[in-house]
Amino acid sequence: MATPLTLNVLLLIGASLLFVGLLLGNFSLRIGVPSLLVFLLVGMAAGEDGILGLQFSDLNTSYLVSNIALAVILLDGGMRTRLSTFRVGLRPAFTLATLGVALTAALVGGFATWLLDVDWRLGMLLGGIIGSTDAAAVFNVIQGAGLRLNERVASTLEIESGLNDPMAIFITVLLIQFLLNPDGLSVSESMISLITQFGIGAFVGLALGAVLAELLLRIRSNEGLYALLLCSGGVSLFALTGELGGSGFLAVYLAGVIAGNRGGGVGDNVLRSMDSLAWLAQSGMFLLLGLLVTPHELDNHGWPALFIAGFLMFIARPLAVWLCLLPFPFGWREKLFVSWTGLRGAVPIVLAMFPLLAGIEQTRLLFDITFVVVLASLLIQGTSMGWLARALRVAIPGNSEPLQVTAFNGSKDRYLLQFKVEEGARICGDAVTAHSQPQCEAVLLIRQGITQSLTDTLRVVTGDRITWLAPLSEKESLADLCQQVTPSIKRFYGDFTVRGDVLIGDLIGAYGVGSVDDALRTLTIASYFRRRIGGQSVVGDTLMLGGLRLRVRTIDNNRISQVGIRLPH
Amino acid sequence: MRVRELLTPQHTYVDVHGVSKKRLLDQVAQFAADTCPELTEQLVFDALIARERLGSTGIGEGIAIPHCRMAACDKPIGMLLKLDEAIDFESIDGKLVDLVFVLLVPEANPEQHLKTLSHLAALFNESGFREQLRTATTSENLYQRASSSEEELRLAS
Repeated sequence: MATPLTLNVLLLIGASLLFVGLLLGNFSLRIGVPSLLVFLLVGMAAGEDGILGLQFSDLNTSYLVSNIALAVILLDGGMRTRLSTFRVGLRPAFTLATLGVALTAALVGGFATWLLDVDWRLGMLLGGIIGSTDAAAVFNVIQGAGLRLNERVASTLEIESGLNDPMAIFITVLLIQFLLNPDGLSVSESMISLITQFGIGAFVGLALGAVLAELLLRIRSNEGLYALLLCSGGVSLFALTGELGGSGFLAVYLAGVIAGNRGGGVGDNVLRSMDSLAWLAQSGMFLLLGLLVTPHELDNHGWPALFIAGFLMFIARPLAVWLCLLPFPFGWREKLFVSWTGLRGAVPIVLAMFPLLAGIEQTRLLFDITFVVVLASLLIQGTSMGWLARALRVAIPGNSEPLQVTAFNGSKDRYLLQFKVEEGARICGDAVTAHSQPQCEAVLLIRQGITQSLTDTLRVVTGDRITWLAPLSEKESLADLCQQVTPSIKRFYGDFTVRGDVLIGDLIGAYGVGSVDDALRTLTIASYFRRRIGGQSVVGDTLMLGGLRLRVRTIDNNRISQVGIRLPH
Repeated sequence: MRVRELLTPQHTYVDVHGVSKKRLLDQVAQFAADTCPELTEQLVFDALIARERLGSTGIGEGIAIPHCRMAACDKPIGMLLKLDEAIDFESIDGKLVDLVFVLLVPEANPEQHLKTLSHLAALFNESGFREQLRTATTSENLYQRASSSEEELRLAS
């Protein structure tokens, strides 16, 4: 009965849940707890066994909301993925997203079959359900922890979590079909299904993503509308791809990547307004999922579920990661970190609804176990990520972010980037015009609230706010110019710096350390890194040479340009 | 090795007119040749320039620590210069350099000399130490402050 009263009560409950969830979620990031976990817990607290005792068990609504939310989250994640990161991250991420998911699913499936003593198909189904890492959770934790991971690790994790949902969905759907109709599925059919899922997903995502991006470039509207256009476009694209038999998740992620990188990137006005929609999607979905679950029932399978979570975190994922990353230049620290960052989030819970909706027996068990696994993963892995990144030294000193990034109307790929000059920054004392080039122009300097005219005699001092008109690719170098060289940066890279094109022989000669064979002496430091690390080097890569520790400090146009040296002490 | 073991009063200079990186290193080589009979100006200059070619020894905050190995040296030689006007040294932080510590070491025992170099870099990373040297007015004063600093005591402990 929809009387005005119940409507208001409903609204009150829904909106205040969201309000409380967002407040707590925002706060939790500061203490290193994934906000997703907070949303889930708030939802659970409001649910059947919690304070409010709300009865909610509408699977269909949850399923619908989750799908929309996932589409928005993946779109947002894609838009934040810089295409330049594909250079180092795409191939390892793709391997992890396909082979890695299959391996993890098989391992967990086998273990679950044995532990729960169920039909092996059911066990494997569980493996598939919890096989994919969650884009929302990974993006959320990486950003929330204020981490700047080294590019190899960061891009691999981000792209993996964007790409691996289709694989998990495919495995889940396949096994459900198999359970419903054990004789009606051949190997070739399932392979075709896999290829269609990926092929159509990728094709539609890239094609319509380009159309969407082009369309949006031509529409100069206010940013709130822009984000809504993107989201509605993204969700339509998601649905269309699904109708065509492709993976909507893959399509919407790729469309996000295209839209986010068109014309050199998007300004943070767009990203900010996308942000609010992504938050809404995440909080809404996780609150609802928290409401959906019945906490006291989770307890029925509490221990087996925790064993499965443990097996996933400590054995299956590390093993799969280790195998998948064998051909790629990952150090053991990086592999260990990637293993640990297999956060599970919404996708497994949504996938766990598939068999429930399909009406397969015993699948309530799967749902409950999945929920516990996700909780355990968010709680244990999510909260320890920041700490582990520092302990394993996969984090590099962060560059300060610009105060403002605004797309410049009238130029396709240039942005207004505003930075605040920190104390002791490189630019301090220089004429501001000395740091102004045709493609990267200083256009405004504000000192204590007053605009200064940019003459050659105007010297930069601490606290100035300088705005450049520059392509987004200049962001890092401008940040570098305006930020303090802190002792931690010095400690990280070492006191002295040499150029990347210096010969190893000359370096050894200058310091008299290390005995390497003559073949190495004629290599440059950059090619030495390439040979030892294999493939693309990233900032933060480290090698020892004699007693010297060499660490890549800057990379320009894919070449190592500066290498920090730490001397033995 | 500590600063007092590397530096002598006659190797401490104030109000050096640097002009440019190259001219400064040229003067350094001259000072070294004048006071150490075993060294020639050309040898020192070439060795210092060869090291700078690998990358600037300007470590930031207005400090440069040019260093090289010299076959002719039998013990490490330190030289401390305070410039009258800061010069461009292509430092990592882009700042002009006004304090220069030159370290010439023998070829034997490279590990030990690397430790000395590392110690010097750590010492110059202390802002208190830098400020003490910057406010010195005479070479005796500069020598005193460099060779008996609290910062070095603290680093050693």
